[in-house]
Amino acid sequence: MSGVGCRARRIAIAGIVLGAMAPLVTLAADEPPDAHAAGRAVYTRWCAPCHAVGVTHPGTNALTVKYAGVKSGVLLEWRDLPAPVVAGIVRTGIAVMPPFRKVEIGDAELDALARYLARNTPGS
Amino acid sequence: MRVPPGVTPSTFAAALAQFTQVVGKEWVFSSDQDLALYRDAYSPFLNEPEERWAAAAVAPASSAEVQQLVRVANEQRIPIYPISTGRNLGYGGAAPAWSGSVVVDLKRMNRIIEVNEKQAYALVEPGVSYFDLHQYIQEHKLKVWIDCPDPGWGSLIGNAIDRGGGYTTAAHRNHFDSHCGMELVLPSGELLRTGMGAIPDSKTWQSYKTGCGPWVDGIFSQSNFGIVTKMGFWLMPEPEAYLRCTVAVPRYSDLSPLVDTLSYLESSRTTQGFPDIESPLIGYPPIGQIQLWNETGPPNFSEEHHRLLGGVTQGYSPELEAFGLKSGIPYWRLWLSFYGPMEVIEAQWRATQRRFAAIEGASFKVVNRLELPVDPATIENFHEPELGVPSLRIFSLGGRTPWNPTPSHGHMWFSPIIPRTGAAILEANRVFSAAARDLDMPLFRSFTLPACFWERCFVFILATPVTADPATNKRYREGFKKLIEIGGQHGWGEYRTAPVFQKAVMDVYSFNNHALQRLHETLKDAIDPNGIMSPGRYDIWPRHLRGVKS
Repeated sequence: MSGVGCRARRIAIAGIVLGAMAPLVTLAADEPPDAHAAGRAVYTRWCAPCHAVGVTHPGTNALTVKYAGVKSGVLLEWRDLPAPVVAGIVRTGIAVMPPFRKVEIGDAELDALARYLARNTPGS
Repeated sequence: MRVPPGVTPSTFAAALAQFTQVVGKEWVFSSDQDLALYRDAYSPFLNEPEERWAAAAVAPASSAEVQQLVRVANEQRIPIYPISTGRNLGYGGAAPAWSGSVVVDLKRMNRIIEVNEKQAYALVEPGVSYFDLHQYIQEHKLKVWIDCPDPGWGSLIGNAIDRGGGYTTAAHRNHFDSHCGMELVLPSGELLRTGMGAIPDSKTWQSYKTGCGPWVDGIFSQSNFGIVTKMGFWLMPEPEAYLRCTVAVPRYSDLSPLVDTLSYLESSRTTQGFPDIESPLIGYPPIGQIQLWNETGPPNFSEEHHRLLGGVTQGYSPELEAFGLKSGIPYWRLWLSFYGPMEVIEAQWRATQRRFAAIEGASFKVVNRLELPVDPATIENFHEPELGVPSLRIFSLGGRTPWNPTPSHGHMWFSPIIPRTGAAILEANRVFSAAARDLDMPLFRSFTLPACFWERCFVFILATPVTADPATNKRYREGFKKLIEIGGQHGWGEYRTAPVFQKAVMDVYSFNNHALQRLHETLKDAIDPNGIMSPGRYDIWPRHLRGVKS
């Protein structure tokens, strides 16, 4: 587990206890602001259990088979994932992935998630 | 605007305005776009007119807000349908049992009120998932384990009152049995605490289950008599060590003594972990390794083995058995796990081997011997829930993999309880494989082995896919109902089912002219006279809808 992942998990925990998902990120003085802290927190909480790297993640396995020979099955490595596509799939679901309700991933959180997953996509 | 059946648009608009006053505009949902999120993603009526839709959804943040919402619903006669996390996929998801009900979405009630390490219990709200509680325990370095189902993102409360099961010790796997104390909002809006919680300032709400007088907790599971807003659960003290062992037996006829010996050992608490039966010879995996088979593929069989499997009946042929004996491939293998101090569990394993040694040719193996705790990377090599860790790996079942290039749109679980005997396994295979063939349903491998979630019985689980084709789904729905009926004719009944099938299942529980269902209705009329709460859940309808909708 990377340091980033651990930090994001603590953020999610704070969210549970306080009943809010406000990202409580404390940065060192010389660390640049992390524009994707909120999106990464949503990803870690809601997406990573199925989409992180490795064979134990069914979302990654499904995408690896679907895009065999085309691209990686790891969402975080995609460079052609526009934010609106993320937002659409989270709200509609696909195959055995169900849609996510607004009490789970709010509109602002979804926006942050979509921007995070689209960060390597040109034009996003 | 969608409107609940029997409610005028103006009344509903007034109710929505009152709901909004309680929870705020952000937490009342009534557009089709928002309500689509409350569809059952695995609905057997996917995209058909009968698919269950909510007329609205409202998300309170506290018991007090739930009380206010229920009072409004009572005044305006609005049907409401509480959900916890809405993630019991395959059993109804977030959709109401009766289309047009207002979903009361409790996901925002996500407080972990207490985790008591010394007394090994937790008190939580309905929006708390197994992931949430597990992370909280890790963060606070508490030496307690949860028992979680697959997948682990559901609600402790939702799963317990749906009477779900998990994978650690017998004392914890039955999630309703392992609860201790409830807080509920009754259909009147009144707040109730059960067990010792009925004493103001109780000191033992999560320590003694029943309190004094009638113990009512059971009637609030799989029912529609109240909204559970808090619930206590007994946790397992973090064990010092873990043993995972196998008992392999060579012959088809060894199944009965294998099961009988398991029953003795489990009922005497010589073994406590989730017993898991597989057939290496038939190629039926243990439940704890289904995800592994989906991830890395099933075992490779020799050409001869494949050919022999084509000729089996009820998982048997003399040739297959001879092949197994010759090749050293056991017909049956039982996985057992033990939790506790190493010297205790090693003694339990020795006693276990001694009992199974009565079966000729039985062989034994310690597969894993762990001093606990272990790091997360080690846990990934296991079926995580057996080590008290929630996971979503089970979504490899039905999801796209190299071995399943065509993912389904979901599934519905056919899951009757059958006796804990070898004979019952064979009879269930005979009965349901014949039925599946007649009904043209893709339920069967050549042989199915049951699951041991609960002591004293098996649950014989068959997954029925949900497809994109309404005609196929219709055939499967009708077949599913027929399977329920056939099960009932053999004295077997489902432990739990999706709303679409709740009437069919409850019809099987018909002793003495449906005396049990009639009692449910008597309770409904007394507790919820206006019939606002979850109409139709487990086929309990309010008086004004009885015989009309059911």
